[in-house]
Amino acid sequence: MAVAVYPRNLAEALRILEIQSPLVLAGGTDLMVKRAGTYPDECPVMYIGNLPELRQISRQGEELRVGAACTFTELLASPLLPDYLRVPLAQIASPAIRNAATIGGNLCNASPAADALPMLYALDAHFILVSAAGECRMPVRDFFLGPGKTMLAAGQLLAEIRIPIREGWRCIYRKVGMRRANSLSKLSFYALSDCAGGRLQDIRIAFGAVAPTVVRSREAEMKILSGLPVEEIILMYNGLIKPIDDARSSSRYRREACIRLLKQYLQS
Amino acid sequence: MKPITEAANRLDFEDKITGAARYCADIRMEGMLFAKTLRATVARAWIRAIHIPPLPSGMAVIDWRDIPGKNAVPIVTDDQPFLAENCVNYVGEPILLAVGPDRAETASFIRQIVVEYEERKPILTLEEAMGRDGDFISGNQPWFASYGYDKGDLEGAMRRAARCVADTFTTGYQEQAYLEPQGMVASFEDGVITVRGSMQCPYYIVDALKNALGWETDRIRVIQLPTGGGFGGKEEYPSIPAVHAALAAIKTGKPVQLVFDRKEDILCTTKRHPSQITIKSYLDAEGNILARDIDVAADGGAYAGLSSVVLQRMIYSIGGVYRVENLRIHGRVYATNKAVSGAFRGFGGPQAFFAMETHMEHIARQTGMDSVQLRQRHFLRQEDSTSTGGHLRSPVPLHEMTDLALRLSDYYRKREQPNTDSGKLRGIGCSVFFHGCGFTGSGEQDLIRPRVRLRKDVDGIVHVLASSAEIGQGAMTTLSKIVARTLSIPLSQVRYEYPDTKVCPDSGPTVASRSVLVVGKLLLQAGLEMKKRWSEKAFETEARFTYPKGFSWDKENHQGDAYLEYSWGANVVEVELDPVTCDYKIKGVWAVYDAGTPIDKKIVAGQVEGGMAQGLGYGGMENLEYADGKPVQVSFTDYILPTSLDLPPVTFRLVDNESVLGPYGARGLGELTLVGAAPALAAAIENATGRPVNRLPLTPEYLLEVMNGG
Repeated sequence: MAVAVYPRNLAEALRILEIQSPLVLAGGTDLMVKRAGTYPDECPVMYIGNLPELRQISRQGEELRVGAACTFTELLASPLLPDYLRVPLAQIASPAIRNAATIGGNLCNASPAADALPMLYALDAHFILVSAAGECRMPVRDFFLGPGKTMLAAGQLLAEIRIPIREGWRCIYRKVGMRRANSLSKLSFYALSDCAGGRLQDIRIAFGAVAPTVVRSREAEMKILSGLPVEEIILMYNGLIKPIDDARSSSRYRREACIRLLKQYLQS
Repeated sequence: MKPITEAANRLDFEDKITGAARYCADIRMEGMLFAKTLRATVARAWIRAIHIPPLPSGMAVIDWRDIPGKNAVPIVTDDQPFLAENCVNYVGEPILLAVGPDRAETASFIRQIVVEYEERKPILTLEEAMGRDGDFISGNQPWFASYGYDKGDLEGAMRRAARCVADTFTTGYQEQAYLEPQGMVASFEDGVITVRGSMQCPYYIVDALKNALGWETDRIRVIQLPTGGGFGGKEEYPSIPAVHAALAAIKTGKPVQLVFDRKEDILCTTKRHPSQITIKSYLDAEGNILARDIDVAADGGAYAGLSSVVLQRMIYSIGGVYRVENLRIHGRVYATNKAVSGAFRGFGGPQAFFAMETHMEHIARQTGMDSVQLRQRHFLRQEDSTSTGGHLRSPVPLHEMTDLALRLSDYYRKREQPNTDSGKLRGIGCSVFFHGCGFTGSGEQDLIRPRVRLRKDVDGIVHVLASSAEIGQGAMTTLSKIVARTLSIPLSQVRYEYPDTKVCPDSGPTVASRSVLVVGKLLLQAGLEMKKRWSEKAFETEARFTYPKGFSWDKENHQGDAYLEYSWGANVVEVELDPVTCDYKIKGVWAVYDAGTPIDKKIVAGQVEGGMAQGLGYGGMENLEYADGKPVQVSFTDYILPTSLDLPPVTFRLVDNESVLGPYGARGLGELTLVGAAPALAAAIENATGRPVNRLPLTPEYLLEVMNGG
């Protein structure tokens, strides 16, 4: 039988983390399913879902700060959240899962199909990682190494997600799942554009679930801004997308659907 | 008295809603041991050695040598062992069991056992099986069963024909996905083995125990527990875990619980047969279908199981609802090194109707006809003879039903203007189909010989004694309503307990849309007898099945009345498809059924919604593939079932067409509601995309190939 540990605050959690190396549980919607047979029973479990320091949502200037233990339901209920963040989050799983699942858990689980990820890549979000020794700030693109693999070190917790906010963003999001609810993504497409003054000022494009981590290329985005023909842009992304065949879809479908979505977006 | 059709409160619901119902996994008994099964990890091999670590105290191992009787599951043939002896034929085949007081320890012990295999070349697909010329899995040929029959003169009609339209269709697996996995608890006391669990057919388990133990029926007792769904998956399969749990209980002298986890359940239990169906239709210059030449192949998996019976239903259904005078129909079910294919709601019908209805769409497309009119021109009518030369004695309201379905759905307007402005493609399609109720041919008489009893107690309470299992479909309530109505007593005066073979006679398995039609009719007969003697204090009445007069069935030649009764259906499905991703939404579902008089409106509505969801799942998103002899989608994360968001409200109507044979005019409904969904979905997608489809499931991945012209 596993030992459960309930720290009262972040400092206590970090001390426990350093000494006992527990399994960290926030919402538990992935972990509870995965646990059986995956982790040794002796490994203690530390619950961080109620740590007050990880449950804040605030705005500091042009930056949205989201505590890692906020659930998706809480995020969706926050008036601070702009629509271009709300749209992808509203399509995650089902109300029951969104009530329990946390954004930090979704990120640290590091599934290539994590639905909160493409928007954070597109927005150049940063993560605040904390340990007993102190805190550091890391860009989202540096945090993820591959499926299930992150830069999170032993003794570290993901505490906060910092997302730059910009007034003019308009988003397009397409999650291609296996059904309308409670479904993992076969692929997802997230694009932001800023057309202030009737002219394309900036563009961001991210693809989920079609490579070990989210596909985003600032270089390609700059080429779009510079007016490179659609065919050449598509070629660039075609080289970046590296989908796999798995139980949920085929690499062929994932690649072609991505390219078709991109083409439709660029032509509109 | 209210009409029988008015909804009653279901007898099984209070326990289920309050959580009082105890399912197999909830059972705890003193000294109970937990069993875990060691399963084959390779598709085809000789077992050379099994290395078992020293047994911890309190644990035991059960293998084939513990079977005192025959190591053969008694289904149609006896090729399938309860526990593998010297070879395995599919990944997941049971080899031995470990039992112990701690579930995790027992599972961990199983993981430490090492099996040495000498692998053989497996047969992993239907195509491989069809092409095999040696090293067969079963006997001297690559198939378990091969049937064929003719009607009229195919050759002559071919010579008169102006054109031929040919299609080949393939369909995939479908997993029953009952909410409660397979589970059994066995206990052995005073020389009697008692097995309780999740099941559809208590007497199949009695037969299996008799075979395995070599015991008489008086030492065998089987009791159904509240059962979380079956859909055919708990027809023949539960005999295997029931015998396993019984062997362990007998060997250890302690109660033994065997409950599968989901992955194990999907890995090793029965699924719907994949199929490959070729239909060639020969038409005259006016577009009348003169003849058809049909070839059916089904993937039966590693052992024969019920495959021959499923194949029979496939070849008796493949003619569809059409009057075509010249037919040649041939079917084979092949052996492959995969989990055994078995019973699943529809039982061969869904594959057959998908193929025939989609083929009708293709004929219309190729000849420039309207596909509904093409159907209507060929609809079967009362007094027609079926493909097997059976007599359609009752009205066949196909025109009325189809017209109603088209009107409800505004079919023609939508059909002719399939595109919308949003960049999405809209499409609408229909299907017309039947389901033959009860066992095939004279099976009720030859194989089952069902009987029921009613017992009246001194307090006036009437007990229904039948082996029909409540599996969520409402059998307990509908059958009790029939008894209450017959005796003119309130439903509260009727008792229907979960069947216990110690007290309930064998009224047959809970399958084949037979419970209301056959068992319900027997209960009505026993009720009429009871009503005559109602003034007596405490007594029992009994009714036995008799084959109705005027029916005939020649099993060898597939001639005569293939079914006692036919239920009819017409479905319409509307979709909206995104041409960019080929993902689609179901926008509307309309259905008209003729199942005779509904015994309970609300239960009928439940069957309609559930069957439709399961049928659309089969047609669309339920994708189960095998790779290297193993199923790929072994969890509900990857094997996708529709949710309420994927299914719009189903608009349905029942036509008034009382059955002559069934109780109060009712006939079978449970399977009918599934079989028409996939072909209507396929027709809608063809209407949206303007391209023909030839296989199920209709995944976006497949539709992208279709759109690319692949």
